[in-house]
Amino acid sequence: MRIASGVDVGSTQTKAVMMSDNGGINILARALVDTGANVQRAAERAFDKCCAEAGIQTGDVGFVVGTGYGRYKIAFGNAQMTEISCHAKGAGFLCPSTRTVIDMGGQDSKAISVGANGEVLDFVMNDKCAAGTGRFLANAAEVMGISLDEIGPLSLRGKYPVKLATVCTVFVESDILSYLAQGKKGEDILNGVHLAIAKRTVSLARRINLEPEITMTGGVARNCGMVHALEEVLARKLQISPDAHFMGAVGAALFALEKLDQSFEFGTWKGQHATSGGH
Amino acid sequence: MSEKTEYRGSIHQSQKDLMLNWYEQLDRAATTGDPPTVSMMISGNCVELLEGFGAVPLYPEVNALQLAIRHQSLDPILAAEDLGYAADNCAYVKADIGCMLKGITPTGGKLPTPTLILCNFVGCNTYLKWFEHTAKLTGAPLYVIDVPFMRTDEPRKEDVEYVVRQLKETVEKLEQLTRRKFDYDRFRQAVDCSRRSEDLWSQIKHLARSTPSPFDAYFDAITLMGPLYVYRAKPEGVEFFETALAELQAKRDAGHGVYEREHYRLVMEGPPPYPYFRTFRDMFAKWQACAVASTYSTVGGLWEFGFRHDPDHPFESVALHMIEQNVTNRNYLQRYEQIRRYVEEWNADGVIIHFVKSCRLFSAGQGDMRDYFTKQLGIPTLYIESDLEDPRYFAEAQTKNRIDAFFEALEHSKATALRGSA
Repeated sequence: MRIASGVDVGSTQTKAVMMSDNGGINILARALVDTGANVQRAAERAFDKCCAEAGIQTGDVGFVVGTGYGRYKIAFGNAQMTEISCHAKGAGFLCPSTRTVIDMGGQDSKAISVGANGEVLDFVMNDKCAAGTGRFLANAAEVMGISLDEIGPLSLRGKYPVKLATVCTVFVESDILSYLAQGKKGEDILNGVHLAIAKRTVSLARRINLEPEITMTGGVARNCGMVHALEEVLARKLQISPDAHFMGAVGAALFALEKLDQSFEFGTWKGQHATSGGH
Repeated sequence: MSEKTEYRGSIHQSQKDLMLNWYEQLDRAATTGDPPTVSMMISGNCVELLEGFGAVPLYPEVNALQLAIRHQSLDPILAAEDLGYAADNCAYVKADIGCMLKGITPTGGKLPTPTLILCNFVGCNTYLKWFEHTAKLTGAPLYVIDVPFMRTDEPRKEDVEYVVRQLKETVEKLEQLTRRKFDYDRFRQAVDCSRRSEDLWSQIKHLARSTPSPFDAYFDAITLMGPLYVYRAKPEGVEFFETALAELQAKRDAGHGVYEREHYRLVMEGPPPYPYFRTFRDMFAKWQACAVASTYSTVGGLWEFGFRHDPDHPFESVALHMIEQNVTNRNYLQRYEQIRRYVEEWNADGVIIHFVKSCRLFSAGQGDMRDYFTKQLGIPTLYIESDLEDPRYFAEAQTKNRIDAFFEALEHSKATALRGSA
């Protein structure tokens, strides 16, 4: 049995997934930790936790692919891939008929056009600005004085969404405070917040070819208010895998399995080892 | 694995010598008032006309990019912002104005107050304001040549006549300012030198059609662009491009490329991020990706598709060059067509669009351009954003992430195609 792992070091959270190939590919375990200031340590903690969860020793893992912004900081990683390739790969595996992926993470959002083999055909990302990302929602939650987990369900109760003047992560604070001062209900403000982000994300996603089945990945996929807002703007249901949050790590683990299988032994990718100082 | 490769022939040193000599002439002009100098925009420049007066061009853009590539652009930019320039104003303008305010020059030598500020307005509206400001700051006289924008496929006869009339007015203006008589024969000889330099430059650019390409037509081409703008109308320019062609031809004939193995061939659109020039280049070198053509290298003139200055019709050909044969004065459909031809005829795998935050001229509409190439032509196209002069707009991790993802996708597609054909 071949065992491989994918570790996705995101700006907010670090995800690790352990997968095995024993005639069929299975997810053995998942682990999630906050990234914090020490990126390398976060990767180690997530990986160790995942090994423990799977009941294996670190030495049993044949290959580790790192992804996410901290991928080059994973000292024990054997190779790196961008999260764009990994989200596409993961979505292609878990939702095989999906040809479009919308990934909303802590500090970026992206839309990916995916081929039949989970390969990236095209992608677009937000620019340096964090508008339209998890960070924007976190700021909104903070201003409202509630937790990030609560804003989604609360927004679903909103019937009269406010119109935000900005999708700027910094200026949203004054926008929300202004609506609170006007006596608007929290659920209507949050409903407006989610809709504003959904419209911006869909506008980004329209720059690639939007296919009928769209899969949402990334940490924001856990926010039911965001999923609902996106579905409203897109006028269609989204595919949300229970592993949506782990999709990058799933993709990375799949690449790692292919590497063990020697079926992904081409071109320059094999040269991107952590130890080669590629960053 | 990172691979740092750039073309280092004898022309690399000649280019440095030529550009140093140019700055020395400018320094002398600042001290003695001789030779006369004329400030101009690179795009659609009429350097040939200056030869008729023995005058030397002064390009604010070249000064600005020289500062940026030496990581010295932020101070003058901040000085201009202190004066009231907005964050999203052209960073070239701010660097130039900031340099005047703080007395900074790229080489440490002096720069003269130009004898004439000649606003050869081609497509870039910002230039009008830029030159108005420099005229106010320096007290130098300003003359604007109004070049009609290319809204049609071919320039109209009236447009050419309109520009020729203004060029002749410029001659009169320069005769008054320099107190020198315009030497028409020297002007014609300059136009003939340009014709020869352009022919050589065009041949160099066509060498990149070979696989592997003997040079990078974006990063290496920039080395050759300085002499193209300052010296093309002089015998030294012709000699420089003869050497360059011979060197690169020999490299091509020996089958030597930019990399040990050329993995990808690209077409680049937009100016480079000069403050991070080396870092940006390395991001492509890591993937052994070579630019085989670039639109930026046609800012000063578009010669690879056949246009040449014509000594038999010197004024008319200078006018045609200003109206039609430089990338900034051409409409978007013409820019699309230029890139499409590069992809097809230079056999490229994809297009990289570098959006410059502070340059509306180059960047407005590039989102549509990306859509056109990806959706209508099916050409893999990457869109990345930073700036050509302001280091604050360059996000290294994000830029690298997008570039890596683009090549991973190309890699994956190639592998999938290979598996399919196996």
